[in-house]
Amino acid sequence: MMTIRVCIGSACHLKGAYNVIQGLQKIVEERKLDNQVTIKADFCLGECTKAVSVKVDDDPIVSVDEKNVKTFFEEYVLGRL
Amino acid sequence: MSCFIDVAFDSINKYGEELCGDNVEIIRTEDGVIVVLADGLGSGVKANILATLTSKIAATMLMEGASIDETVDTIVHTLPVCSVRKLAYSTFTIIKVDNNGNVYTVEYDNPPFILVRENKYYDVKKRNSIMINDRVIKESNFTLKQGDTLTVVSDGAIHAGVGAVLNLGWQWENLKDHLTRVVGKEKCSKNVTKNLIEVCQNLYMGKPGDDTTVVTIKMREPEEIDMFTGPPKDTEKDEWFVKKFMEGKGKKIVCGGTAANIVARELKESLEVNMDLIGPDVPPTAKIKGIDLVTEGVLTLSKAVEKIKEYADTSIEENPVYKLKAKDGASRLAKMLIEDCTKLNLWVGKAVNPAHQNPDLPIDLSIKLKVVDELIDLMKKLGKHVNLTYI
Repeated sequence: MMTIRVCIGSACHLKGAYNVIQGLQKIVEERKLDNQVTIKADFCLGECTKAVSVKVDDDPIVSVDEKNVKTFFEEYVLGRL
Repeated sequence: MSCFIDVAFDSINKYGEELCGDNVEIIRTEDGVIVVLADGLGSGVKANILATLTSKIAATMLMEGASIDETVDTIVHTLPVCSVRKLAYSTFTIIKVDNNGNVYTVEYDNPPFILVRENKYYDVKKRNSIMINDRVIKESNFTLKQGDTLTVVSDGAIHAGVGAVLNLGWQWENLKDHLTRVVGKEKCSKNVTKNLIEVCQNLYMGKPGDDTTVVTIKMREPEEIDMFTGPPKDTEKDEWFVKKFMEGKGKKIVCGGTAANIVARELKESLEVNMDLIGPDVPPTAKIKGIDLVTEGVLTLSKAVEKIKEYADTSIEENPVYKLKAKDGASRLAKMLIEDCTKLNLWVGKAVNPAHQNPDLPIDLSIKLKVVDELIDLMKKLGKHVNLTYI
């Protein structure tokens, strides 16, 4: 099971964390990966300058926005499943 | 007995008037509270001046220890005489409550106050005092118990609906019955006054025929809330602070992502974000065992402050905002601060967030501190005690 944690702190919220979460949920649903990927929200991952901060398991934080959600998913998540 | 004296009032203006002819003055002293409701003759500017003069003079003189005779004499000789009616006239009700619940009231021509104890109307013996303009001033002394609610209205409230939906208006008896049903359900005074004003507004069908004011005094059990926002400037203080924070008796609120992480870490509890409540407007809330409410920081705080500001406004035009039912962080925070809090202990961390150095983001520490200042002002306006500690 892989966990994607999306930061929803003040900075990330303003940068569209809500849309990133929605985008990720949609992709997971479309590809029927519900039992392999969990999406969680996190209260401030401590990298506010990289908003929206997203963390896959224990990997370093990646900066994602609503436009590159799909590329991020393909690059960081799909390859590892 | 150490009760919190919760005082609140709301007014609606006579239809078409910009100023209210009723005025309420609330003065908090170390020993208790002095509340004066004055209803000036007529409406508009003239009434407003009469009512304001009366309530200010009465509250100030009584606070400084003047006798009721002196106070009334000063009012009578100060009020300007109305050129139309050849009268200087403003009705008033003065209520002085000390911290032990001892009450002294003076009533002049306003509808009699309504004391509700355990959901029943409680009749208070009154004695006649001096006369003004052939009308008698009534005085009374009694003691309020915890849970008692004392309500005073201006005559606009008991005339609500006159000639429109009701032939004779709402009348004092009906208002009294309504109050006995309502006060038990509402936790704070402000909800009682909003409820009554809303009923009056409806009876007047949105066009009040007179200035209408409701003042409610409720003896409440004191309730404390400890609120922590922003990480401490010195990270070494985290452990010490969280321990101190948890020592408080009251409810606990944590506002801020990093603050929440610190509390969860020090308490060795997990922090679960509530995914189901995620919406685009207000950031989601989270759960930490032992903490009553965990929210994001500055955005939620400023939204909550907005809601409290709307709530605290005493001149309601339409749709009074009360009873926040929404489950988002800002509504829950506002509701807790309004209803469940008589004393707020604020712990504000002054650490600087690296994201605040980012010029793209419209948030920084000074905004947070400004929102906190605004919150403090509002809470004080609602009569609550506030303790502020920077960490």
